[in-house]
Amino acid sequence: MSVAEVIENARSEGRTLLTEVESKQVLHEAGIAVALAFLAHDANEAAKAADKAGFPAVLKVVSPDVAHKSDVGGVRLGLDSKDDVERAFDDIVAAVKAAQPDARIEGVAVQKMAPAGTEVIVGMSKDSQFGSVMMFGLGGVFVEVLKDVAFRIVPLEPKDAREMVREIKGFAVLEGVRGQKPADLAALENLILQVSEFIEAHPEVEELDLNPVLAYPDGAIAVDARIVVS
Amino acid sequence: MTQLFGAPADLQKRLDRAFNPRTVVVVGDKRAMGYLWLNCMKTFDGKVYSVQVDPNEISGIEAMGVLNYKSLRKVPDDVDYVVCAVPRPIAPRIIADCVEKKVGAVALFTSGFAETETEDGIALQEQITQMAREAGLLLIGPNCMGIYNRRLGVRHSTDQPAGDPGNVGFISQSGTHCINFSLVGALRGVKCSKTVSFGNAVVLDAPDYIEYLANDPETEVIAMYVEGTKDGRLFFDVLRRTARRKPVVVWKGGVTAAGSRAVYSHTASLATAPAIWDAVMRQAGVVQTESLDETIDAVNALTYCKPGTGARMGLIAMTGGQSVVITDAFERAGLEVPLLTSASYEKLSSFFNIIGGSYRNPLDAGGTIGMGFAPGNLQKLLEILEEDGNVDAIAMEVGASFIARRLRENPALLDQLVETLASHKNRSAKPFVAIAHPGHVEDVMADIRARLIARGIAVFGSFQAGAQALRRTIDYWRARRDLN
Repeated sequence: MSVAEVIENARSEGRTLLTEVESKQVLHEAGIAVALAFLAHDANEAAKAADKAGFPAVLKVVSPDVAHKSDVGGVRLGLDSKDDVERAFDDIVAAVKAAQPDARIEGVAVQKMAPAGTEVIVGMSKDSQFGSVMMFGLGGVFVEVLKDVAFRIVPLEPKDAREMVREIKGFAVLEGVRGQKPADLAALENLILQVSEFIEAHPEVEELDLNPVLAYPDGAIAVDARIVVS
Repeated sequence: MTQLFGAPADLQKRLDRAFNPRTVVVVGDKRAMGYLWLNCMKTFDGKVYSVQVDPNEISGIEAMGVLNYKSLRKVPDDVDYVVCAVPRPIAPRIIADCVEKKVGAVALFTSGFAETETEDGIALQEQITQMAREAGLLLIGPNCMGIYNRRLGVRHSTDQPAGDPGNVGFISQSGTHCINFSLVGALRGVKCSKTVSFGNAVVLDAPDYIEYLANDPETEVIAMYVEGTKDGRLFFDVLRRTARRKPVVVWKGGVTAAGSRAVYSHTASLATAPAIWDAVMRQAGVVQTESLDETIDAVNALTYCKPGTGARMGLIAMTGGQSVVITDAFERAGLEVPLLTSASYEKLSSFFNIIGGSYRNPLDAGGTIGMGFAPGNLQKLLEILEEDGNVDAIAMEVGASFIARRLRENPALLDQLVETLASHKNRSAKPFVAIAHPGHVEDVMADIRARLIARGIAVFGSFQAGAQALRRTIDYWRARRDLN
């Protein structure tokens, strides 16, 4: 499905929030590095999807009513076989039903588990004065507690992406601390510029969160994605 | 706004007429205001007329030797610029006259519009806005001081200098900051080309004026005071375009939460989150400041320092104590104070007086250069720093205040010092800043600063101010260099 079709489909269901599966699909279409996720409606579909995505697999509940998936037992990590995946599917459905009985469960998203990397966040929200504003920061406490983030308005130029990545106080973390190899800054800059282009091409996107993006010594990939359309 | 007036080139031409008028009309000047506006125009060598209907006022106006008419429509010449100070209920009538007379532009000094947050004020503002827009009338304000053109002597304060050209443009929502920038700036070496205070900005807004100054060949540096913007995207686009052509300094008011409350009642523009504003300004490639002093200092550094992108400082101070704090100030501003090359050390060792001094960098040089009054050695130091490959820019403490009394008694010493620094600056390719602290003999120190800036040397009242101003210029030239 094209971006327009995905958005149209969501609107026809009265949603402005795209599911993780949908969000990643449209970002993937735009050439942005995401860990693609596939929607499975039963354990058997989940196993097939994991085979396609690759092992180890990650399963996450897909529900318009669940805000924090791991809080309701809606996430299973590091699944190495089809059997594990089938069992995990049933576990997730049971756990979510127990924790939040009225939650609508549309299925489970299946994706390949990405190897550990440095967590960063790339986001976009709208400012009443300046329109689409992109945000970049390191994941976790850096963003939530220290508010260590950089902003730029869309469209970004290569210079802006370069500065954004280097402007945060925690930049040293990306340069590699405690013997870690430096993160691939060019890949991060490229991802930021691609998102800027995506937003420019789709003004109907109201909010976007790639959280986290995992940065590696060679490359970067968004492992979770959330898009809100108007 | 711009599209109201046809192609951008048309607006440019029309604004140029208003900013460089040949005929000015003041409407509604009063004795109670000391005939402020007509007095402001005394320095204007074009034609000045008055429009006033009150017989009690007319006699005073005619006593000033100004021709008065009962109506703008009766003024015999084409009118390029009108300043209107009538009470607010009369404003629509004067706007209609301006339209009829096809004036170049009108600045409405009249206030009492949307800024009062009253129904009456808002309705009246809407009325004049609509009238001006429909007719394509260039309306500046309302609630503003309008245009200052130094060269032509079109002023909005009777203290403003006139008659000679300037190179710094300033735009401001606030009249106070517009006037203060021109007055305090003039005292400190800033020569304004054109400034405008534009108040409620109902027809022409900041982007229009920025664009005009960007295209104005007389204006080399643009500074502004803003509290917010009605169209952030347009403002950003114009700033970014302009900053690629000439340095732009943006002093933002209403940054704090309480400050932005004051903004709303002041000029009725929307506030934006400080972090976003800061990012947008960086992205546009402009210099940001937070006060009048910082704005003047940044403008001076951008005007008088050679452009440079390197952050490695060569520092000269007069004493040991000052050597320490000048270094702290420049390091804290994000600049570096490196060791010099071995070639420099070799040269320095041949003549530098190390009794009560040292020359690693900073150069604690008071003894070597006779507190600045041994021009031979001073010139040698400056030449060594100029040639040193580890040094990108030079800062020097000038005239320690405790020797200022000597200067008052022997002004020839100061002449020599100023001459040495001026000739260094003219030969040098590196940014040079001088610092002359206010002391217990401030009149002498002020004189030193005035004489240095008159010779084109950027001079500051403290190490911090000099360091920050230089840092801002380096950031500006780096941003320009890094454009793709």
